[in-house]
Amino acid sequence: MYRTVVNRILLTKNTGGGRRCLLRFPDLRTAVTSSRFSTTTEPQTSPNRPLNPADSSTSSSSTSFQTSSGAGDIPRQERKNPPAEYQGEQARVLQASLRHVLRLGWSEEAMIAGAKEVGISPSIVGSFPRKEAALVEFFMDDCLQRLIDRIDSGEELQDLIPSQRIYKLVRFRLEMQAPYISKWPQALSNQAHPLNVSTSFKQRAMLVDEIWHAAGDEASGLDWYVKRTVLGGVYSTTEIYMLTDSSPEFRDTWLFLDNRVKDAFDLKKTIQEATYLAEAVGAGMGSSLQGFVGKVIQR
Amino acid sequence: MALRLVTKNLSSRISPKLCSASLLHSHATSFGFKEVREEEKSQMVGKVFSNVASNYDLMNDFMSGGLHRLWKDRLVSKLSPFPGMKHLDVAGGTGDVAFRILESVNSIKRRALQDPLNDDLQEETRIYVCDINPNMLDVGKNRALEKGLGEDKSLVWVQGDAEALSFEDNSMDGYTIAFGIRNVTHIEKVLSEAYRVLKRGGRFLCLELSHVDIPVFKELYDFYSFSVIPRLGEIVAGDRESYQYLVESIRRFPPQEKFASMIADAGFQKVEYENLVGGVVAIHSGLKI
Repeated sequence: MYRTVVNRILLTKNTGGGRRCLLRFPDLRTAVTSSRFSTTTEPQTSPNRPLNPADSSTSSSSTSFQTSSGAGDIPRQERKNPPAEYQGEQARVLQASLRHVLRLGWSEEAMIAGAKEVGISPSIVGSFPRKEAALVEFFMDDCLQRLIDRIDSGEELQDLIPSQRIYKLVRFRLEMQAPYISKWPQALSNQAHPLNVSTSFKQRAMLVDEIWHAAGDEASGLDWYVKRTVLGGVYSTTEIYMLTDSSPEFRDTWLFLDNRVKDAFDLKKTIQEATYLAEAVGAGMGSSLQGFVGKVIQR
Repeated sequence: MALRLVTKNLSSRISPKLCSASLLHSHATSFGFKEVREEEKSQMVGKVFSNVASNYDLMNDFMSGGLHRLWKDRLVSKLSPFPGMKHLDVAGGTGDVAFRILESVNSIKRRALQDPLNDDLQEETRIYVCDINPNMLDVGKNRALEKGLGEDKSLVWVQGDAEALSFEDNSMDGYTIAFGIRNVTHIEKVLSEAYRVLKRGGRFLCLELSHVDIPVFKELYDFYSFSVIPRLGEIVAGDRESYQYLVESIRRFPPQEKFASMIADAGFQKVEYENLVGGVVAIHSGLKI
């Protein structure tokens, strides 16, 4: 599948990216073979993931869906090498830190508070190479996993046309960060930091790819890139729009998203029409050129 | 500055390293290039540091061209101290590392003032400076007075042996040892003591002069070590022997990979090291879970 291909490409691009990747590499490899992507070191077999109070509805539903998942997806493989113990502890710290983000921001302080909460020395924060970025990246991966779980459940998407599916999936994903919206600009600026941009780009690429895949896209060739670029644009602009949206339950954001998705599908038609037109024009030009050349030669 | 960072899962190759380490420390140990009896080493090291204590900082600046300040800054930034931290700085008699940690904690406190939960934590910060040599501790205490930190309750000066610490199990958030582990008789004992006193999630950090592998730079460095430093010691501090010991002891210290595997053997996880200035010094770190 194309998504495994793009994962490989992203992987090889990132192996030179520093210590984090060195640490993550084995995880990602196993993740690829099991058609899951997780860039964090969170163990997949964590017994009871502490739930985020604000998202408890989606989280709890996703865990229950997971067991009933059977929508033609490859079953999850067991890891050959269980992740080192410290990685599980780090994940626990990060999960607990998320509860302090609203008060303290995406910051070292939130991570210190999270470590204290789970009874681990806050010194562990120093073992994250890019401290706050680790928290943001953990959240992104966590959301992606929750989105995948929801897609796997398959119930809500079955009788929708592709554009509606895209709309719904992007909305699911953005709703996950709604509780953190007051602190989300900080997370965005963190992701845009030169040191973090490669990881955040990769995470967004995976997200967009997952959404297209769930929408039933089987595209190949140039179309594949166009589709992902366009959806990446839609996702990011809606994300930015959401930051300044004060309407109840982000109503304006969802309207905005709906319009952008429609635009994108219109654009797809426009591009197709443009292609046909170009072909027609090309054919016309070609024949007239042929005629012209023929005349020249005749003389 | 050539930075190289290697992370290795070291748990897989434990046995051969252990054997060679235990052979090395059967009865004789090294004092620089000399083989001496184990009991003598600590006395001889003690003598060296008693000799150099008064000129210690001056010589550090001379020998490293002031770079040791940057190395120590780097060590503390890797540690990322926090308010309320219990930290143990071993072999830190002159307080160089301890003052930096305290400074860093105070600056964090200023940033975190909005958080009401953190307010009383600053009072709980304790940085224990442990050194086996009372002369070195005196230098540190005097410097604390000069800096106006004489009354600071956060700094605690303790005379003690790194191989048999007087602190309780699971009592420290952080452990640093800067330019010290090279001088101890049993490195493994120091590491296991470090592991013992640290809490879960606590980190071990070691700044130590290490081995240079870059071809031309290595020759330059060797020339500098063996020809310049002892002479510098003679001229500035009037003590050639001590500085001869210094450069020799660096060569006897286990190379980066070996030392990292020793840290892993002591039970630490996520063992990493970072070479600074091509390996002239290395910062090793480990995490206790």
